[in-house]
Amino acid sequence: MPRIFLRTAVFLSCGAILFFICASGILLSSLLTRPTSAARPAAARIVYGLTLLPSGFDPHINASAELGIPLRSVYDTLVYRDPVTKEFVPGLAERWEISPDSMVYTFYLRRDVRFHDGEPFNALAVAANLDRITAPETRSQKAVFMLGSFERYVVLDEYTIQLVLKTPFAPLLDSLSQVYLGIASPKALREYGTDLYQLHQVGTGPYRMVEFIPGDYILLRRNPDYRWGPAFYRTDNPAPVEEIEFRFFTDPATRAPALESGAADIMGELAPLDALALARRDDIALLPQPIPGMPLQFMFNTRNAPTDRLEVRRAIITATDRTAIIDSVFQQLSPVAYGPLTAVTPFYEPQVKQYYPHNREVARQTLIELGYRDNDGDKVLDLNGAPLRLIVIVPTWGYAPQVAQHLQSQWREQGIDAELRQVPNLAGLLAAVQSGDYHLVAFNDFGADPSLLNNFYLSDARNNFMRVSNANLDQWLRQAVQTSDPAARQNFYRGVQGLIMDQALILPIRDYVNLNAHGKRVSGLTFDAYGWFPLLANLTFNGDD
Amino acid sequence: MLRFILRRVLSGLMTLWLAATLAFVALRLAPSDAITLQLTLSGATESQIAARRAALGLELLLGAQYLNMLSGLLRGDLGVSLVNGRAVAALIGEQLTATLSLALGALIVSTLAGVGLGIGAALGNRLVRWLAQALIALLLATPIYWLGTLAIYVFAVWLGLLPSVSRGNSLQALILPCGVLGIALSGGIAQVTAAALREAKNAPYVQVAHAKGLPMRLIVWRHMLRAQGSALISLIGLQGGFLIGGAVITEALFTRRGIGQLLLNAVNGRDYPVVQGVVLLSALAYSLLGAAADILAAWRDPRLRSR
Repeated sequence: MPRIFLRTAVFLSCGAILFFICASGILLSSLLTRPTSAARPAAARIVYGLTLLPSGFDPHINASAELGIPLRSVYDTLVYRDPVTKEFVPGLAERWEISPDSMVYTFYLRRDVRFHDGEPFNALAVAANLDRITAPETRSQKAVFMLGSFERYVVLDEYTIQLVLKTPFAPLLDSLSQVYLGIASPKALREYGTDLYQLHQVGTGPYRMVEFIPGDYILLRRNPDYRWGPAFYRTDNPAPVEEIEFRFFTDPATRAPALESGAADIMGELAPLDALALARRDDIALLPQPIPGMPLQFMFNTRNAPTDRLEVRRAIITATDRTAIIDSVFQQLSPVAYGPLTAVTPFYEPQVKQYYPHNREVARQTLIELGYRDNDGDKVLDLNGAPLRLIVIVPTWGYAPQVAQHLQSQWREQGIDAELRQVPNLAGLLAAVQSGDYHLVAFNDFGADPSLLNNFYLSDARNNFMRVSNANLDQWLRQAVQTSDPAARQNFYRGVQGLIMDQALILPIRDYVNLNAHGKRVSGLTFDAYGWFPLLANLTFNGDD
Repeated sequence: MLRFILRRVLSGLMTLWLAATLAFVALRLAPSDAITLQLTLSGATESQIAARRAALGLELLLGAQYLNMLSGLLRGDLGVSLVNGRAVAALIGEQLTATLSLALGALIVSTLAGVGLGIGAALGNRLVRWLAQALIALLLATPIYWLGTLAIYVFAVWLGLLPSVSRGNSLQALILPCGVLGIALSGGIAQVTAAALREAKNAPYVQVAHAKGLPMRLIVWRHMLRAQGSALISLIGLQGGFLIGGAVITEALFTRRGIGQLLLNAVNGRDYPVVQGVVLLSALAYSLLGAAADILAAWRDPRLRSR
């Protein structure tokens, strides 16, 4: 072989492979001329990592919780929930009255509020927002349903508006405190219409939306005129963050590296193992944030044998070692769940902890008493020739697959056979549930008002995955929504939670905890009463090293 | 030549129609629909959901829905998203440049790396051949996801040289994603190049060139690659399909915006019009790239025109 040929071939192959690396070499020279590192965001601007990429970002229209992470600080709401006490506190309404029959809510609005576009805030602005949310052509996916039995509004004067209901609806204040009912500038709503408003959102909040490139980033800039925040927004923040850029880290594997390289300053939904590793670094702070709502739980199908028998369901829960699952899958970063509501949810009933402590012997005895024996020696219990076999629908998200594998191996030791059926998305889960061919299905949902249970436990609920029909449950859940007296609601929800656990309708696993972490360029990261949404106004910028 | 081009255009149109029809059927076979998914946790009643489905034409007979879709397409109307109400053309338009620059960069990287590796594997000395073949096997076996994660750790976390995340289409932000996607695709190109060159190595025209005393560099470039060029061009054209698939993963890994992310979301949300639009666009890109490659190959080699 001639030499020249070899040289060419060697040169070409090496050159091609090293192209990648050469490119970074070229970059190095360009880096030398730049004062800041390429990976770092510009000074006085921080990068906040979002973890889902919702298709729509209009809070009146779309339903994703992700949109609230930036937008909670673009909008104010008529009322707020205090993040600690979870009590309702004044927002854009400085006070409110509820009529004795709980059908009329009168809001007295602040007079010193202006939208980011300079428009004044008043009762007509609130009216325009309600008009938009309830208009059929808006096709609201969440906000309109959060208004419950809302019938009409009455503008009493420039700064007083009444909301009139058809029937009492206790969760109304909770709804009005959420970003989905944030008050937008009527002028901007008119100007951009339903389809384009999401790219040009205008509220009254502590941050303005400056730029939104779908799929790429959202840029917020501090609103220097903001003086009307709720009491828990800091007014003495020494160095509020001027600009916040939100980017989408949809792949969990990208989140920890982004924090480590400085490409992001704040990140949520870290994998438990990543969170532990990050917590060991002295330049990153871990901030686990419990989320109110329903825990990760497996709902029993009460219509299919064998889980149609109460004693079987109780034995399955007793056979399950939840602490072992929390230790292994969640690295002890989530609390064990005991009931249908997580411990940080208003009206949570601590009594649920007494139900079904883990005890393999009790579970074994219960099953034996029910007549289950391993007659054919295949290590699976059977009754009248039918093996004790459970079909479990497992979504691919929320660590359900890992949890389900633990369940499978724990139950196997008790002679219970479990078949795990994974579903890739909500559509797959709904289809699997609709077929009726399952014994357990993993599911959870979020919210600070326990009325979210109605979507699952009412006998005619859309998501009655348990196929439960219990007159007491129906009555208490409905009444709890119709009374606005907190003591009465507490009573109903105590009954509801006790009944759900007594009837062993669910196998609760873990209270949801969002694992957030942030670098040292910022401090003061706290979240609102719903757990997901950061109080951006309270963030302090510590500057670069 | 003109007839050849005409034939390619016609078959391209057929591909588009088939893609639209297949996407339509596949989406309707998939369980659930956009409206049910949106509203299932909202507390909406069954009748509210049905009313909204009807308003959007989702309660029509499948045949009527199909005709609506086709007539929309013929008018150049891709429809509006069922999730955010925006025009599908606008949704795709705002993501297109990001994906095109990723795809183009990756295509350049994969062609350079692939052809280089292929030459090394076919014609190098024993060491080079062995190295190149091992590398090709490694590239073919390496999932793009793993390669990307590795690149992020090495270049962004450890060395801090390149951003794994950056706004817009800056050159810096493109290097890692294009590099990863391109390198991942180069294995296939390298394999075909190597096979073609091995075959040509003992061909009479190469021996004649040797006998004439031409330097090896010229033999490879002027004779061997040119003779095998048509197959290579077609192969590189075919990479278009893999590019789209690889782009979905690459975009998620590097938090880039683009068609891939749009498609993923739309499929999960059963946003029929958006999925339809993206599928059509990919089919269009695929046909165009394929046609361009075929026409280029036919222009270089007249024998191909009669096929």
